[in-house]
Amino acid sequence: MFKNIVFIILTISFLKTTSAQTVSPSLKEESDIYEKIYDAPLILDETQPTPLHELYNTKPLLVVLIFTRCTGVCNPFLLRLKESLQFKAKKDSFNVLVMSFDPRDSIKDMNLLARRFALEDNNQWIFAVTDSIPKLNQSISFYPVWDSIRNQYDHDALLVGVNNEGYITKKLIGMRGGHDLDLLIASVNNVFSPTYRLPNKNVLFSCFNYDPKTGKNKLGLGLLFIALPAILTVLILIVIGFSVRSKASELEESS
Amino acid sequence: MASIKLNKITSVWIISVLLLFIVSIVLGILMRLNQGEVISQSPITFYSNMTTHGLTMIGIWFVAGMAAVNYIMERYVKTSYTVNVLALVLTVIGILMFWASTFIGHFHSAWTFLYPLPFKEMGSETWATLMFLGSLTVLGIGWLIWSISLMTQILKKYSIPQALAWQHLRKNPTVETPPFILISMITLIGVIACLLAAVVLLVLFYAEYFSNGNFVNDALLMKNLTYFFGHTIANEMLYLGLAVIYELFSEVSGRPKWKTTWYVALAWNCTLVFILTAFFHHLYMDFVQPQGFQIIGQLASYFASLPAAGVTVFSIFIAVYRTRIKWSLTNLLFFIGVIGWVIGGLAAVIDSTISNNIVLHNTLWVPAHFHTYNAMGNVLFSLGFFYWFSIQFSDKTKVKKSTTLTLALLLIGGIGFLLAFYIGGAESIPRRYSIYPSELSIGASLATIGAAFASIYFIAILIFFFNISKRCLKILFSSS
Ligand code: HEM
Repeated sequence: MFKNIVFIILTISFLKTTSAQTVSPSLKEESDIYEKIYDAPLILDETQPTPLHELYNTKPLLVVLIFTRCTGVCNPFLLRLKESLQFKAKKDSFNVLVMSFDPRDSIKDMNLLARRFALEDNNQWIFAVTDSIPKLNQSISFYPVWDSIRNQYDHDALLVGVNNEGYITKKLIGMRGGHDLDLLIASVNNVFSPTYRLPNKNVLFSCFNYDPKTGKNKLGLGLLFIALPAILTVLILIVIGFSVRSKASELEESS
Repeated sequence: MASIKLNKITSVWIISVLLLFIVSIVLGILMRLNQGEVISQSPITFYSNMTTHGLTMIGIWFVAGMAAVNYIMERYVKTSYTVNVLALVLTVIGILMFWASTFIGHFHSAWTFLYPLPFKEMGSETWATLMFLGSLTVLGIGWLIWSISLMTQILKKYSIPQALAWQHLRKNPTVETPPFILISMITLIGVIACLLAAVVLLVLFYAEYFSNGNFVNDALLMKNLTYFFGHTIANEMLYLGLAVIYELFSEVSGRPKWKTTWYVALAWNCTLVFILTAFFHHLYMDFVQPQGFQIIGQLASYFASLPAAGVTVFSIFIAVYRTRIKWSLTNLLFFIGVIGWVIGGLAAVIDSTISNNIVLHNTLWVPAHFHTYNAMGNVLFSLGFFYWFSIQFSDKTKVKKSTTLTLALLLIGGIGFLLAFYIGGAESIPRRYSIYPSELSIGASLATIGAAFASIYFIAILIFFFNISKRCLKILFSSS
């Protein structure tokens, strides 16, 4: 109980400092989409390393990047993720892989972290370290910077969706709400998610106008433009048809 | 009877079309060689070539059909020579501007120039987009004037219901509408509609281009208009070829002239109505488009093509089945062309069926089907006309041995080239890839095979080019 209160306080205080990270999707999220994640050998326990593909082949993955000595975003990030995922309907359709990107971390440190979050017995959550951090980081364009003054990494709160073929399907940077997580989960399961363009006052002739409140599309002025060529053709046909015929009958009458 | 002036301008059309066809085939073969990794082009070169190839092919086979229809229409109504010349001049200017935009300006957003691609420079020159839009404007104006002029000439002799052969839907019609007039009329109406769609599209492109960001287009509207224009013109140009076949097939085969019956009139009127909405099948993946549009797209694809194909195949079958007919290169090309058109059409109908499109969308199945009804369909319709036109003034009409060889090359080359596309499509190889990733290495092997067969097809076309152009040059420089 006490542990949870501490984490919640930490989370709230951190949400303020990381507000820039939490607001809107960044362009960085677009990098590496549909590229393969590096097939790193993962240390999950004391036994032989397991290649990453064995995990994603079993179930799509949400990969979380943290380090255990983090005094910053890592803990609130994990906590928020755990809470958000608890209420997801399609919980069984993916696993969560919590990866450390700090070479100082061992699998023992990660297991300790799992215990702190009461996730050590949760099969959906996998905690791992690897000796191929640079290659893995590169494959997902994740570049933590070491800050020697704070003795901490300066890094994004990155969540990477990987489908069961190892392709990166979506990335989320920052602590994001339930809807974004839904999109991430849909993408790792190769489920199509419709997206709509933002309203723009300079777009005058939309075919349909999406109303985010009702989730419905209303017919727009643009549809008229699609019908216009056919309407004009019929008009041209009728006008020419009648004008040449009336000329012809005038000629016939006069001759 | 065609005038000397009309003979001469038709000869110029034929020589120009064949010359441009040769250049475009070379570009096509280079694309297949690049996809097969036999040669290595930069992506910009590949996509500029693809854009040049696609739009030039559509353009030349459209004007080839129009020139043939214009020539034969003179049998029924007087056509305007001035408009014919104007269309030729504007087509030449338009093609030169278009080639400048691709070959010099590296414009490379494919022949469909889907919005907003033309506005993304991606390595092309800044002026290239405007030059490209300008070239389409010039071509569009020329073709629109030509189509409206031909339609006007028909309407001078036939009323609208007569031109559309509605009286044939009743018993004992008093006025007879020749099938050539019916199909030409139906096609010209469709052509005018799709060229007007191009006008609306171009106006919207220009508006955004010159508005400095104050006006932005709706991507879905632009896509609808693009395919209204692109899909429709690519289909209508086939119908121009069919109008010629309805007129000439029986004539060159020494059979009685085909007549318009109630089912011919009905089938072609179906085409008129449904062809204008069949383009919705290009928007199956656009989920914002209501489901009703998608269903219209699928049904219209069936009703626009199946009745017309049915009656044409039936007419040809009746004409050749157990009858002694005079085979010449002209009707052989028409006959093979109709088979190519039907096979390509069936492949298109398969693709336009929503449940199949989920699998075949944007795979090589798409170029497979449209190359079938173009390279082995419409091209043969026009080649048949070109040959018939060129030999009109000589008395050699028998099929020579060398002609049989040329036809064999055309068939072997064409079928092999198309099969490589079909197998690629069935293997889910995507279209419009300049090179294939290692996961799709079968795509590269198929491309090399495709290039080899396309070269055989190319040899046959070169032989046709030399034979037909030689005769057309004679017509052009003769004094009578
Ligand atoms: C032997 C002759 C031909 C060859 C070798 C050839 C080759 C090609 C190739 C390689 C492509 C690109 C395919 C892809 O998407 O990966 C292509 C596209 C295309 N071809 Fe052909 N082709 C030939 C004849 C024709 C003909 C007769 C037409 C007539 C209309 C035509 C119209 C087109 C069009 C419209 C495209 C689409 C271009 C685009 O996507 O922007 N081709 N062709």
